[in-house]
Amino acid sequence: MGKMEEISELALTAGEILLANGAEAYRVEETVATICRAYGCRGECLTVPGGILLEVKGETGEKYAQMCKAEQKHVDLYRIELINAFSRRMARHPLPFEEAKAQLEEIQRAPNFTLPVRTAAAAMTGGVYAVFFGGSLWDGAAAMLVCAFTYLVMEWVGRLGFFQFLEYVFGGLIIGGGSLLVQSLLGGVEANSTITGAIMILIPGVVLTNGIKDILYGNFSAGVARFSEALVIIIAISMGVGVALIVGRGWL
Amino acid sequence: MEAVWQELGNPALWKMTALAFLGSVFPVVLFNIDRYKILWTGLGGALGWLVYSLVLAGSGSAVAGSFCGAFAVNLYSEGMARVKETPASMFYVPGIFPLVPGITAYGTISLVAEGRYDAALQQGALTLGIGGGIGFGIMLSATLVRFVPLVKRRLRMTR
Repeated sequence: MGKMEEISELALTAGEILLANGAEAYRVEETVATICRAYGCRGECLTVPGGILLEVKGETGEKYAQMCKAEQKHVDLYRIELINAFSRRMARHPLPFEEAKAQLEEIQRAPNFTLPVRTAAAAMTGGVYAVFFGGSLWDGAAAMLVCAFTYLVMEWVGRLGFFQFLEYVFGGLIIGGGSLLVQSLLGGVEANSTITGAIMILIPGVVLTNGIKDILYGNFSAGVARFSEALVIIIAISMGVGVALIVGRGWL
Repeated sequence: MEAVWQELGNPALWKMTALAFLGSVFPVVLFNIDRYKILWTGLGGALGWLVYSLVLAGSGSAVAGSFCGAFAVNLYSEGMARVKETPASMFYVPGIFPLVPGITAYGTISLVAEGRYDAALQQGALTLGIGGGIGFGIMLSATLVRFVPLVKRRLRMTR
């Protein structure tokens, strides 16, 4: 492989990790350009919602263009932080290609919390917010139950590869239906507070703020796409919860 | 101003602030943020809620409160990002959580499900207003933070 191909490969791998783990488009473009500059080339990068386009220009005017597709799978801010640190290091002292590639591979293998821990955290988040939004401790406990169940089901459904829209409709349905069920089975639980708290684990906060920031920094194509993605998710959750409320209040 | 001082002595405010701290701590695991930053993200959430409640008590407007809360959270995050040399999203993503208008959003859905559309429109407008307040708060502080180094660089170039 030539030098330019290796630079482009390296920069695109870093960009792909960023995009797949929920970074803003402007951060992807900056990081890719920084890595190219570290090796003495000019990298012109364009981030679109589905991937990254990169053209590397060498000192003598030769060009090499490459693209890579990347889909945002989930939000993982630890990997974004690691890539950020990596690009800062590269800007100071560029590493040889092999070493840099090994570091990127290590970042891709970086640890995540295990499923039981994440489920427990989702449950606690739902419980805390049920109490935060004016529920009793019982409502909090019910929200913890509903959240843990919802998180496990969403994880499983995500692996099946549904459309995102359906996934979130499903999540809203489970939260609404589950809370109404808990309310009718156990006395003293208020479904309204339970649902309000439990919804918090589905809210697409990262996607929404990324969209706002990208629009702000002038990357409209990526920003508007992210923003509408967040709107679609919110509509999907509302639909799920609304259907559960209409059906559930009629039956239970 | 008096309402703000009164609110500061309100024990419910401090209970809610403690809950907001917890509410910004647990999402850290969901977003796989570096576990050594848990304390700092929690403080960000508590700060946002404190600013929100005080502005709400002083002005009576939930939209103004959300705007100021989000502004404070984002400014705090950008500051922490400079100190810890990490992207600011580590701090503002969980920090914004307590400000999300969960109650009014759910109220809107619930009212639509009941068929009370007039009330639903009102709640929906309030939800949109609060959401817009948060968005604008983030926008303004992010612009400010980007603006300062830009101006510095420009000044250096013209010299």
